[in-house]
Amino acid sequence: MTTLAIEARDLVRDFGSVRALDHLSFDVPAGIVFGFLGPNGAGKTTAIRTFLGLVEPTSGSARVFGFDTKSEGDRVRERAGALLEHHGLYERLTAEQNLEFAGRVWHMPAGERRARIRELLDQFGLWDRREDAVGKWSRGMKQKLAVARTVFHRPPLVFLDEPTAGLDPVASAALREDLASLATGQGVTIFLTTHNLVEAERLCDLVGVIRRGQLAALGPPSSLQPNDPGLVRVVGTGIDASVASAASTMPGILHATVEDGALEVKLADGVRPAELVAMLVARGVGIDEVRRQRQTLEEAFLELVNDNAGRSGNGGSA
Amino acid sequence: MNIADIITVTRKEWLEFRDQLLRLRRGGLSAVIVLLMLGIVTPLQMGPLWLQSPLMLAYWPLLSSGMVSTLIADAFAGERERHTLETLLATRLSDTSILLGKVLAAIMYGLLFTTANIVVGVVTLSIAHKGIQAPPAAHTGYMLLLVTLACSTLAGIGVFISLKAATVRQAQQTLGIIMMVLFIGPVLFVQFLDSEDRMSMAGRLASLGTARLVGWASAVLFAASCVLMLMAMARFKRGKLTLD
Repeated sequence: MTTLAIEARDLVRDFGSVRALDHLSFDVPAGIVFGFLGPNGAGKTTAIRTFLGLVEPTSGSARVFGFDTKSEGDRVRERAGALLEHHGLYERLTAEQNLEFAGRVWHMPAGERRARIRELLDQFGLWDRREDAVGKWSRGMKQKLAVARTVFHRPPLVFLDEPTAGLDPVASAALREDLASLATGQGVTIFLTTHNLVEAERLCDLVGVIRRGQLAALGPPSSLQPNDPGLVRVVGTGIDASVASAASTMPGILHATVEDGALEVKLADGVRPAELVAMLVARGVGIDEVRRQRQTLEEAFLELVNDNAGRSGNGGSA
Repeated sequence: MNIADIITVTRKEWLEFRDQLLRLRRGGLSAVIVLLMLGIVTPLQMGPLWLQSPLMLAYWPLLSSGMVSTLIADAFAGERERHTLETLLATRLSDTSILLGKVLAAIMYGLLFTTANIVVGVVTLSIAHKGIQAPPAAHTGYMLLLVTLACSTLAGIGVFISLKAATVRQAQQTLGIIMMVLFIGPVLFVQFLDSEDRMSMAGRLASLGTARLVGWASAVLFAASCVLMLMAMARFKRGKLTLD
């Protein structure tokens, strides 16, 4: 039986006349990286605050490791680390002092605190700046330190709100690796919100898309993309309108157009592009490349959040 | 309530405040100026009387609680302004630990301020009048007791205001008005009395004796601190603080 880190059941949270969470229901199994995607104001931050027991739901319930977030918020917070919208670092304190504070908050023994400070500051390349006040640091360095503080006490559940925001590509990639190893190597559950869809695609085992407080989709990143939308792009020489016209009369081809000198063809379900290629070769087209067009996660995401009907009703156990 | 958690919060507040003090920002610069004025100039003007005047029993609690106001206004409003409050609330620390940790830091600051002034004053007088002159033990004890209670009362008011204020400036302004009412109110009250009533009141206070007077003042301040802390506890709501 899968252990659940988070269970949201019919979660509603109203702020006056605004409904931030609208009957949100989903489960997050323990030990995975869960990506929570959605446009600004969709309800991602409210959901995290609710799971941490900082905000009470108007109706419905949420459980984290079996603890009710409304009545047992303190138990939830004992088991979680959180990097929220703001990094939350004390800028007058040094990096060491910030991490020392985190260690003391979670009652880590002095020796363990010292070793963990060294380990994490080394890992994030911040050891040489450990005695500087954090206020003097760049945004990226602060973000790295905030992530280090969040995982400092080795919590079984980590909430990360846009963790790679402000990081350079190299640091982002390194952080993604660290997060992936946390989930796979140490069994930590990571609840991640991000606008970086490539990041979600690379890092997350499960993705939830939230729109206007409702769950628009839930599943592995690959399930949010149509596997084969039937689009084929042919790049080569000798492609013109007559080739497109000939292609569009072939059986199994729904339409064909020339875009930027390349032939773009929409195939009917189950039709393979081999016959199309044979016809093009016969017409003297010099083919350089034939590529099936896959919808990216970004396109799927935009489709979901812009679609009025959405794909609601996909919520539930994952 | 966990003592280790309270100390953790107090320590963090002190580290932040130490930075302020070393950079002479906000309360830091005023603390140094006041230390120079009260620890050196005033003892030189008053001479050995500075060590034992009964006036000092009111003087130091008022001054130290005034200094505490610069620190306590920052307690929650400052965390909110610097976007650290939500992260602090998302930790395992209990409401009581966070609240008491911040109040304890403020009280310790008041006590340290008074102690530093007294030490500097004693050294100044010793140099000026040749030979160390120790302040009377009972007098010093009364003074430190009243300073502690006055600081805890003001910390209670300050933390209550800071929980609600959107910015540090707003908290300081509100606290400033309240302190003015508290400090000037009794003076105005006495001035409105006719001279006969004033003499009668002074006589009655004098007849109580220092120890009893300190006892009554301590009881009032202690009760006020307790009530204010309970009010602050009631106002401390994680959900509301997160959303403010």
